[in-house]
Amino acid sequence: MAFSVLNRRPDSGLGNVRSSPGDPSRNVDWVLLLTQAALVVCGCLTVYAASRTKGTDLPYGYTFATRQVIFVIISIIAMFAVMSLDYAWLRERARFFYGLTIVLLMLIFLLAKVSNGAQLSFDVGPIKLQPAEFAKVTVMFALAAFLSDSNSDSVNYERFVGALWLGGIPTVLIILQPDLGSSSVLVALMMGLLLVAGAKAKYIAMITALALSTVGAAVVTGLVNSYQTIRIQAWLNPNSNDVKLRSFIFQGKNALRATATGGLTGKGWLNGPITNTKGDIPVQWADFPFSAIGEMFGLLGCAVVIGLFGLALFRIWRIAHLSRDLLGTYICAGVFTMLLWQVFQNIAMTLGLMPITGLPLPFISYGGSGTLTYFVLFGLVQSVHMRRMR
Amino acid sequence: MAVDKRAARLGALALVSVILLGAVGARLWFLQTVQRQSLQAKVNNGQTRTQVLLPERGRIFDANGRILADNRRILTITIDRAVIRKKVNRTELFTRLSGILNVPVEEMERRWEDNQYSVFLPLPVAEDVSEATVLEIESRSEDYPGVRGDEDWARVYPYAPLASHVIGYMGLILQSQESQYKQLGYLNNETVGQFGVELSMEQVLHGKSGKVVYQVDSANRVVREISRIEPVPGKDVQLTIDLKVQQYAERVLETELVARRQRTDTTKMAKNPKDKDGNPKFTEPEPWVYDDKGEQFLPYPAPAGSVVVENYETGQIMAMASFPTFDNRWFTVGLSKSKFKQLFPVPDQNDPNRADKSILVNRAIQGQYNLGSTFKPFTAYAGIMSGVVGPKDIYEDTGSYTLNIDKSICNTGVRCEYFNALSAGTGKPSQYGPVNVEDALAVSSDAYFYHIGELTFEKDRTLLGTEVGQFGFGAKSGIDLPFEFTGRIPTSELKAALIDKGVLRKDESPKLLVGDNVQLAIGQGLLAASPLQLANAYSTLANSGFLNRPHIIRAIYQGGVPTGYPGYGDFRGATLIQSFDKPEVIHQIDLPESTSFPIIAGLQRVIYGRGVTYPGNFYHTTTGETLFKDYPKNGIPLAGKTGTAQGAASKPWYDSSVFAAFSTDAANPYTVVAYLEKAGYGAKAAGPVVKCMFEALGGQVTMDEVALADPLDQTSVLAAQPNQLADGSCLNNRFDTPAVRD
Repeated sequence: MAFSVLNRRPDSGLGNVRSSPGDPSRNVDWVLLLTQAALVVCGCLTVYAASRTKGTDLPYGYTFATRQVIFVIISIIAMFAVMSLDYAWLRERARFFYGLTIVLLMLIFLLAKVSNGAQLSFDVGPIKLQPAEFAKVTVMFALAAFLSDSNSDSVNYERFVGALWLGGIPTVLIILQPDLGSSSVLVALMMGLLLVAGAKAKYIAMITALALSTVGAAVVTGLVNSYQTIRIQAWLNPNSNDVKLRSFIFQGKNALRATATGGLTGKGWLNGPITNTKGDIPVQWADFPFSAIGEMFGLLGCAVVIGLFGLALFRIWRIAHLSRDLLGTYICAGVFTMLLWQVFQNIAMTLGLMPITGLPLPFISYGGSGTLTYFVLFGLVQSVHMRRMR
Repeated sequence: MAVDKRAARLGALALVSVILLGAVGARLWFLQTVQRQSLQAKVNNGQTRTQVLLPERGRIFDANGRILADNRRILTITIDRAVIRKKVNRTELFTRLSGILNVPVEEMERRWEDNQYSVFLPLPVAEDVSEATVLEIESRSEDYPGVRGDEDWARVYPYAPLASHVIGYMGLILQSQESQYKQLGYLNNETVGQFGVELSMEQVLHGKSGKVVYQVDSANRVVREISRIEPVPGKDVQLTIDLKVQQYAERVLETELVARRQRTDTTKMAKNPKDKDGNPKFTEPEPWVYDDKGEQFLPYPAPAGSVVVENYETGQIMAMASFPTFDNRWFTVGLSKSKFKQLFPVPDQNDPNRADKSILVNRAIQGQYNLGSTFKPFTAYAGIMSGVVGPKDIYEDTGSYTLNIDKSICNTGVRCEYFNALSAGTGKPSQYGPVNVEDALAVSSDAYFYHIGELTFEKDRTLLGTEVGQFGFGAKSGIDLPFEFTGRIPTSELKAALIDKGVLRKDESPKLLVGDNVQLAIGQGLLAASPLQLANAYSTLANSGFLNRPHIIRAIYQGGVPTGYPGYGDFRGATLIQSFDKPEVIHQIDLPESTSFPIIAGLQRVIYGRGVTYPGNFYHTTTGETLFKDYPKNGIPLAGKTGTAQGAASKPWYDSSVFAAFSTDAANPYTVVAYLEKAGYGAKAAGPVVKCMFEALGGQVTMDEVALADPLDQTSVLAAQPNQLADGSCLNNRFDTPAVRD
């Protein structure tokens, strides 16, 4: 069963007679896959353009772009593995993965306590593993599985509370890391899933209130260090002269200017005076790739990228409809909300509509864990699509 | 399964996504079409590099044109901030630079963290480096990316530490001054005057920065110069200080203070008085010195003091010395915090004598002192002008004064009887017998002035304070130096305020009482004034009633006064902007000769004698008679007054010595005041200093020549090197005998 895609024999010229039209391998959503591929290509090019000329002593050149390509290749393998698995099979392992995630999050929390500073990743040799990224997959799957267990189209109070615990624990752990960006993705996920699963409006309102008060409490008690709150302050006071806020204001302001000065058609490939010079936007390739696209390709380029995301969202939404079972629908709804939120948050912060959080733009931003996560999520969606005929 | 409901909910999700993406799209459209032009303009400005051209600071000259503060072109090493934003790169570059620049990595790291340095300008890491070092660094730009040598100015004080308190020093803009200087167009990391004339004349001396704007390419290389505004140099300032007199004043002050601390001659020490039972009155932790009779003595601590020499016709200050002093070049060498603490230790808050140790105060204008008997001429003025005593009226001095109040309260702890100072001969309060105002000033009869204190109080509680206030007490003199002490004349409001602040005990009366006024009459109690205020008051007496505003600035010239004779400015070719040579009269005092003559006659007798004979044939010398016996006959004719300000707990070794005198010869219109803290009787410490000053001004003593300073020894732990007279013999008194206090 597993890896059936890889087991598939080559066609003999008469069509693959061994497989029926309902065979998963014949039901890949090619539009979604190609959309994803287009985004990934855009991403690698953007990472290259935005990091090429930067660097302190020597320009980075291909350094970041090469690494990103390697991440993509690893992620493609992982995605195919996920696609070949039946998500129903994964459902039985949801608890295990969820538990593992919680353990990792607690471990990193303790590690941070010991080293007396924020800790977002485990350093495994040259690779940094960010459990918060993988939590997006495992928590989404656990929640989808839990909600679909009831086999009902509405969420009663017990199930709502259960879902709250299930999503709340990792969310709080991630807030404590402190990584407000990633925890906001989990909150968005919970809201999306509960909405689709049929939670009453007041439950959704309750989650919103809870999320806000948790963040508020964490900030007030100082559990979230100033590094996080400074970003919000910087966003609220764009003209402040405070030394602590300056670098964030500087980063945000330049990102916005880069995007805006691209105009309708942009300044051309590798020709952006801000993106392609010494580095007026620190870590642009990870935090503000959209500003690089905006400067080089203008409104047109931005529209293409946003269009690609829109298309991907539409395809996922469609698969949610097509799915025969609730789990499939919920998986798609979960991926949909997370993708939507992350795309919105990243682009909106580039445009100065939202405070600067470290949330990457899926498939475009540089980063191993983030790329792998979205490949796995899309793999799950494909898995749902592939098995919709079942 | 209710597919319809699921569809509806998915529809809601789709709606949310359309709204969010729509919002992003709308914003994007707005930015990239509507706002594009204006933001592009801002970006274009960012494509330039602005280099500030710092103006040359105005120079400071003394009254004879000697250059007291000059500037030198130096090279400063700066690092482009973008290069060292990352910790790794920073540490690496700092480490590499540390060797060649001889600056520790920690110091560079500290500057990186320090808000003082603008984040929009390259970070300066080393000042005053050699041209060779700059060449080496710039020629190896691949090893030192972003490192540059910039031209800058450094302040030079050729005669430091002379007149450091007057000239002042420079420092980085303090946080508390940031907004003020920002408004004036200063850069964050500029140095500004922080003390003395450097501070009070900051905006005159500073000039205006210029700037060059370069267009740069994407690699931050200069493409072309867009605009250039040349800096406007600061204006030059000439002081009223005569450096030669200044040096003499500083040396004579330091020589005398050091001499007063000696432990070998008990006649020059403070004697521990006896209580009623004949036992020693005070127990001190310090080791006593004993004389042949086994009496206990303590040397005077003589920690500090000041001298003011003023021209009483113009109000110009010829010399202003304050001890302990400092070398203002310390502030030009980039002192580390620890070195600063070593040079200028912060006294322990619990140390009762902590004020003795402050170095960075100009005691001549910041000292808050009791004046002792030097205040008496002004009490005499108040007494005569208010009519409570006549200039010829005789008062019987019996050695003490009893208040004319209801005697029944005297047993309730209220002090009703005030005594004269003890006679050195008898050990009892001196009795001067029948005295008029002239006699009373000559021998410094306390009883006479207690008497005026009570009479004026009976007439009007505020009368004495108001009358003496005319001489400038209790108000800033308005000298062009910062941090001047306002002074204090006791009033009911002042007492209430001091009780509120906890300076006075809570059970003190919040009203001015007769006791306070009696104390004020002899310059004690709550009265406080700076030596400059005292000098200016004597000047008013000397110039027949004109209270002038004292000046330390003589003139302001257009920047760039040429250098003539090496080390001197040549003012013939300079453009004068403002001159302060003409006296600036604050107000004129009603000073009829019928009042001023007996007062000045009394003050002349202080110097030249005729004391009083009482009782019988017992001759009381005047307080300065013995001291001035060897004053040259052809010297500047003087009138003056001694004063001994009683110290804390009436301990004799805490007596501060004051002497004020002025010339009665219009050709040499000088007033000199010396105040030596905890140094003994007025005639013993401050008196010789003033005498030497006048002998020097009159030409009977040769003043040491002024020499350029030796280079600053940066390994020294002293704020200033010792600076004593080459020949201190004028301070010795051939006729020295134990004298009367005051």
